[in-house]
Amino acid sequence: MQRDEIRSNMTLSPLIRIIAVRLAQALATAWVLATLCFAFVHALPGDAALRIAAARVGEDRLTQEITDRIRREEGLDRPLIVQYAHWIGRLAQGDLGNSLVTRKPVLSELAYHARFTLGLGLAGWLLSYLIALPLGLSAGLRPGGAVDRTSQGVAVLLASTPSFLIGILLISLFALSLRWLPPAGYRTGWHMLLPALTLALGLAAYSVRVIRNAVVDVRSAFFMTFAQIRGLDPATAFRRHGVRSAAIPIVTFMALQMGYVIDGFVVIETLFNYPGLGDLLIKSLLARDVPMIMGTGIIIGLMFALANLLADLACLWLDPRQRLQGAT
Amino acid sequence: MSAIATLGISNNAAPLGLRVGIALIAVLALLCLIGPWLPLADPNAQDLLRTLAAPSLAHPLGTDHLGRSILSRTVHGAPRSLGIAVICVAIATSVGLLLGLVAAAGNRWTDGLIMRLADLVLAFPGLLLALLLAGLMGGGIIPMMIGIKLTLWPQFARMARATARVTLQEAHVEAARLAGLSQLHILRHHLLPPVLRQTISLATLGVGAAILSISSLGFLGLGLQPPTPEWGAMISELLPYVAEAPVQMAAPCLMIVTSVLGFTLLGEGLTAQLVGSDT
Amino acid sequence: MNTPHLTIDSLRIASAKSAGQMLVDGVSLTIPKGKSLCVIGETGSGKSLVAQAVMGLLPPGLAVSGSIQIATGTAINAGDVSALRGLWSHTTSIIPQEPGAAFDPLMRIGPQLGGWPQQSQAEISAALATVDLPASAKRLYPFQLSGGMAQRVLVAHAMLSDASLVIADEPTKGLDGPRIAQVIALLRHLRDSGKTVLVITHDLNVARGLGGEVVVMRDGLIVERGEADQVLREPAHAYTRSWLAADPGHWAACETCLQADDIVLAAHHLTGGHDTAQPLFRDLHLHVHKGEVLAVVGPSGAGKTTLGNVLLGLMPPMSGEVSWAGCDPYRDPNGARRLRRRYQKLHQDPTTVFTPHRTMGAQLGDVVDVTRQALEPDHLPALMDRLKLSPQLLTRRVGEVSGGEAQRLALARLLLMNPALLVADEPTSRLDPIVQQQTMMLLRGIVAEDGLSLVLISHQRNLVTAVADEIVELGIQNVSSARSMLHLAVEESAVS
Repeated sequence: MQRDEIRSNMTLSPLIRIIAVRLAQALATAWVLATLCFAFVHALPGDAALRIAAARVGEDRLTQEITDRIRREEGLDRPLIVQYAHWIGRLAQGDLGNSLVTRKPVLSELAYHARFTLGLGLAGWLLSYLIALPLGLSAGLRPGGAVDRTSQGVAVLLASTPSFLIGILLISLFALSLRWLPPAGYRTGWHMLLPALTLALGLAAYSVRVIRNAVVDVRSAFFMTFAQIRGLDPATAFRRHGVRSAAIPIVTFMALQMGYVIDGFVVIETLFNYPGLGDLLIKSLLARDVPMIMGTGIIIGLMFALANLLADLACLWLDPRQRLQGAT
Repeated sequence: MSAIATLGISNNAAPLGLRVGIALIAVLALLCLIGPWLPLADPNAQDLLRTLAAPSLAHPLGTDHLGRSILSRTVHGAPRSLGIAVICVAIATSVGLLLGLVAAAGNRWTDGLIMRLADLVLAFPGLLLALLLAGLMGGGIIPMMIGIKLTLWPQFARMARATARVTLQEAHVEAARLAGLSQLHILRHHLLPPVLRQTISLATLGVGAAILSISSLGFLGLGLQPPTPEWGAMISELLPYVAEAPVQMAAPCLMIVTSVLGFTLLGEGLTAQLVGSDT
Repeated sequence: MNTPHLTIDSLRIASAKSAGQMLVDGVSLTIPKGKSLCVIGETGSGKSLVAQAVMGLLPPGLAVSGSIQIATGTAINAGDVSALRGLWSHTTSIIPQEPGAAFDPLMRIGPQLGGWPQQSQAEISAALATVDLPASAKRLYPFQLSGGMAQRVLVAHAMLSDASLVIADEPTKGLDGPRIAQVIALLRHLRDSGKTVLVITHDLNVARGLGGEVVVMRDGLIVERGEADQVLREPAHAYTRSWLAADPGHWAACETCLQADDIVLAAHHLTGGHDTAQPLFRDLHLHVHKGEVLAVVGPSGAGKTTLGNVLLGLMPPMSGEVSWAGCDPYRDPNGARRLRRRYQKLHQDPTTVFTPHRTMGAQLGDVVDVTRQALEPDHLPALMDRLKLSPQLLTRRVGEVSGGEAQRLALARLLLMNPALLVADEPTSRLDPIVQQQTMMLLRGIVAEDGLSLVLISHQRNLVTAVADEIVELGIQNVSSARSMLHLAVEESAVS
């Protein structure tokens, strides 16, 4: 059985397999979101054509004629299954429709807001590793030491704090008490610092521990001792053999953390009134702007799949076992 | 958040964490049980003449922007946040375990179907699916619970399946089968003990994650609807007045951190003791 | 007389936790330059601790005293870990128990073989050639090496290094006959190239094959020492004598006086394995009479366990038929259900056949319940007595009994089902030699008394010849010499 698995995996290049899996993930999220939104639109009580007409021309100028025309145009008189196929077909062509609130095309709205979120996500992520790498490394190199124990305590506390609370604490401290930084909104690059720091602290709580444990595990591996028996001094042994091995669990965890990044920016953007995708998603949800909700959800899903793909590729590059064997 | 992750507390800190965690959860459980019977003000009674009042004898933690007693609202919020979290995790755990065991014992098609379903849910990052469901269905307790359970079960199913598949290969299961012991006997005495051992710490961490999710949804306005006293929603309501009413703000904040901390410490401690920290 | 190259003087190692329990109690030994010495002993004899002490690799929490002197250096306090570690690479080196774990899994072998300072590529290739590995092995990653290949790479490394003292810690652990001979040849090679070799082993064959001096350890003490030839031929100490007698090659020949009237198990044209293109065995015929012992031997990976599972009705064969006293378990489900409990398996690792959460008594009770047979009230006590098991063991869980006890309890559970045939899959390979002998003799006695049939699966040819009436030999049929090294390595790692 084991042998069969190995052989079947060797026939498919690991690179192609990884890309196929993540592509399937992206398509699956898009399909589920589209179906969810379709079901929602058709599950609402009342006449769908009437609602669309009201949204387009306004309640006061609504006539039976317009409603009937929209019913024909939008195919609302056809069977549900045909409408569903049409709905998915339009999505497959990349047509996300117009926002019900601003009337602008969903795609252009997404393109505008996505920049802010990408900036925030990237800044928060980089900042988190600026904090976590030195802390995690020094804790891992001296397990049980002062850095290890302190960082563990702070990590447990931070991991138990919802991100909006971290944000509120930072606002109270840096914006309201010290008045160093602007509390909310987005006009200058300084406006990004507090949201990014909020995100980074939540991320670093976990990554400090993951980095610390990866370093401890690698250092206690026998091949590290044997490298010293071979004649390398401890520092050289860690540089040559330890860093790469420790990097694999850390990179794998980075992808897992993307889930936290996305939760994080949805909540943090709302808190800081920051014009990114998360803020857009919550506003659309509260306004029941279905095309906007679907578009935002799909973009976030794609970002998640892409982040996973990058982490997979990084692991593939780091780990010859995956490259040559395909088995994990 | 919704993806349950362990911090991997070191082994020498775990026993202390375990004791502190149990103590915190015991205090919170007591609060949940006796809180509603304490002689406190009505959590929804407004007093527009005394808004954002400083702590006094009548309102020991002060009042909010509508003059409601913060102490009363905080105490009444406990059974909601904790109760919903525990119920969500209990249901998600049972469903996940059941599906995971069926997948492990079933044929290729059952296994494939259940695991692809889990993959589908896990393809959504963090709270996104719960957020969309709660948002589209208009907030409130039921959509929120459905959303949280939906995002939690795949982790339990995956874990149960992985443990069960390893256990089913072990010699004691083969010996039991050769002896003709019933499937039910094998399930109860050979399969469930190791699976539950793995589950208990994951479920405890899951309760902490669920409390975070509930308060986040409440904060975003997509969870429990006003005027229900819920910690996340209370924080969101008090946010504009944070400078004038720091004490009022601190009460629900501390409750969230304390309860998540309790379950995190307990879960991490159990992981270190039962599963071993080699994760 | 040669000058001593390694001198260990009254080495004492005590566990700091359990109040001064001595793990190694006053071990002194010397090895002259360019010679070898084997420390032999059973699990828990403290022999591995001696090796770890010399390398400065003892786990923390031990109280250590005594001195160690290597080459021309001064005597070092055995507790001075950093001084002992300072000798690594230029004076001492080790071939560890788990050869696979010694290399960085993410880096090719070549760069890891060069020590510090870097060896030239030509030197590395030459060292690999002396252990029969092609120069292309440098390009392999550690996961592509089988256990045997990794060990050869480690020997090549020891030859490349400046270390004059090489310690081999259990070099034959988990290996079977032909591979043990290879390891002995490698160790000889190492010694003949001028290295001083200290071998830690539980395997008498290694001591016998390598020659040189032998030290026998038991409970932390050296009970006997001398030249290998002499110690192994005329042991002076009672413990060494009983150990030698436990070696299957010395057991009394089997009595084949049992009446073999009817056939309990038969197989015709049996072909089976995991891969239809490469069955592990083909067109196999066998018959087991009542009371007969049939042995299945062959190297690891030859399909012995698979054959056992096929015979037990656990895994359908690719073709051919199995017959349980005339009923084919794969074609006659009713017959299979009726006879299920009469065809049983004694597993290799007795600690895994009991679920860790239930007491032994409860698990034996499960079987009594399900067989629904009216047993005499003293049936179980009598059985326990017969298997030399104390009744107190029934209140314990599997983690609280020894390996030998667990295997006898497993046997007790099988006997409760009144079986006709047992398939015993390497039933004693995890046990120490003396326990192995006791367990195997007990099994043989019970088979003879109860008229049971036994299919004994083993890689130990001498054990089998001591016990079996008939032998089936499986060979590796699926490895052709034309395969590339990579394929071979992947295959070996899949099998093991």
